[in-house]
Amino acid sequence: MNPAVGVIALVLVSLATAAIGFYGLRISRTTGDFYVASRTVKPWWNASAIGGEYLSAASFLGVAGLILLSGTDALWFPVGYTAGYLMLLLFVAAPLRRSGAYTIPDFTEARLDSRAVRRVTSVVVVVVGWLYIVPQLHGAALTIRITTGLPAWVGSVAVVVVVCLTVVAGGMRSITFVQAFQFWLKLTALAVPVLFIVFTLAGDGSAAVAPAVVNPTGLAPAGPYQNISLLVALLFGTLGLPHVLVRFYTNPDGHSARRTTLIVLGLLSVFYLFPTAYGLVGRMFAPELARSGQADAVVLLLPGQLIGGTAGDLLSALVVAGAFAAFLSTTSGLVVSLAGVISQDVLGGSVRGFRLAAVVSAVVPLGFAVMTDSLALAGSVGLVFAFTASTVCPVLLLGIWWRGLTDAGAIAGMVTGGVLCGGAMVWGTVLGAAGTPFWLAQPAAWTVPAAFAVTVLVSRATKHRIPRTMSRVMTRLHTPERPLVTER
Amino acid sequence: MTRVRVTAPRSASRPARESREAAEESEVGQVFVRSLIRSQLRLALVVAIDFMLILCAFPLLLAALPGLAETRIAGIPFDWILLGAGIYPVIGLSAWLYIRTAARNEARYRDLAGDE
Repeated sequence: MNPAVGVIALVLVSLATAAIGFYGLRISRTTGDFYVASRTVKPWWNASAIGGEYLSAASFLGVAGLILLSGTDALWFPVGYTAGYLMLLLFVAAPLRRSGAYTIPDFTEARLDSRAVRRVTSVVVVVVGWLYIVPQLHGAALTIRITTGLPAWVGSVAVVVVVCLTVVAGGMRSITFVQAFQFWLKLTALAVPVLFIVFTLAGDGSAAVAPAVVNPTGLAPAGPYQNISLLVALLFGTLGLPHVLVRFYTNPDGHSARRTTLIVLGLLSVFYLFPTAYGLVGRMFAPELARSGQADAVVLLLPGQLIGGTAGDLLSALVVAGAFAAFLSTTSGLVVSLAGVISQDVLGGSVRGFRLAAVVSAVVPLGFAVMTDSLALAGSVGLVFAFTASTVCPVLLLGIWWRGLTDAGAIAGMVTGGVLCGGAMVWGTVLGAAGTPFWLAQPAAWTVPAAFAVTVLVSRATKHRIPRTMSRVMTRLHTPERPLVTER
Repeated sequence: MTRVRVTAPRSASRPARESREAAEESEVGQVFVRSLIRSQLRLALVVAIDFMLILCAFPLLLAALPGLAETRIAGIPFDWILLGAGIYPVIGLSAWLYIRTAARNEARYRDLAGDE
């Protein structure tokens, strides 16, 4: 691939991101603007922004790569990523919006009336955020290496610099515009090349005699345990992701939080058809990419390989731009939510504290990313979902729906889930991909039930600690707002 | 069951928020709130469980009818179409049904608790 193509695409996306970010600066004035855009964002804007923020390196590059490697088993990844939003809609969206809190730690503190719970939740949220930023930076490193031939770290550093500039300049208000723009950029960047490829192949007549779907690596299909465990992680991990939750506070009320989620589900359903198509086309026409260990780059390499020439270069540039939009949007969403947590807990919640915290929350994972090597992107993000599902999810679900939750139960559950799932992740890394038993490689199926069980049992044993404010908080979470919300 | 009657006519200038909280902290208000939470939870669980059953039915269907996965539509194997595109409409439909019913539950609560 022509190296200039990658560089130009990267520069254009960074400039567009920064430009929209600075435009937003003129509007944001107060602390409220900085954190949650003063809760005045319309559902369509907000849904595009949520989609933009959610579709990360794992969705843009990783899903197609994993489908190329493991075929129909990997189709559960996009299904799980989308269905996670269904669970979010069913159990979390409206009550969380009505809680009136800015961040997950705000929510747990208000619900359980306890500073200790707040501190533990903050630590968990920061760990989740950092774990999730690392694969984004790995994706950026991979993209830069493959498309420009520059050293891999340039990609990670470029993403962190652009994100820090944008977030420090405008906070959430400009982030909302940036994210919405990046969703549509990502969708275009995947859809146009793959449609072009399909029509070109059909024009050649090669699609009419479409070659059989091959299994390029000869990997054995996953057993039912792996698929179920993966789905548990993805379905219940989404509703605890900090950058996803903070977006719900930008809806004006609970009902519009639900409508926004419905639009998000539609956007995601359309989006995930395209990585699936890339994976399938790759398996049919370019299976050698999987054998050479470049599966995660299939989205980047396919247009150049199957089309070639100037058209191939242009399409490659579009894909690279979309990939960088994915790294930038997810990283900036995570950085905003982490900065919100860190600045409120450590730095007193001022605008200057928020800016400082934003830089800290972007630079720490950069260190990790530069020191470590990238695994399969969709797989490593799947593990972050497992961790979230074992820590934040039980507290959030039980806090919203169960009157009996206590601060002791919440802390015990988060610590249990964190230790079990974190332990499995560390142990799995030590053993290496080949030596890890299946139940350790996909831990969610036992760590999530364990975390729920411990939370419930400890809460039962400490009934006297149920906060006195419980009924009032539960009422606020579940009753519709005044003035009357317009239906439909 | 205790009946509560609001005897004094509510003045238009009284802030809505105050009356909302007063209504909800009373014993009767709490009965309504509990029943709202219970019906919303039941709804969420029913939709979630039905969705997961459908999700499980897809691979079981493919396993039960091995010929089905081999069938090709426009060159694309049927199992890819089913798992790669067929689940999304189910997700969207579940979400739409849930939102409609959840809004109806809230409207019923508002009728009961809000405007005695």
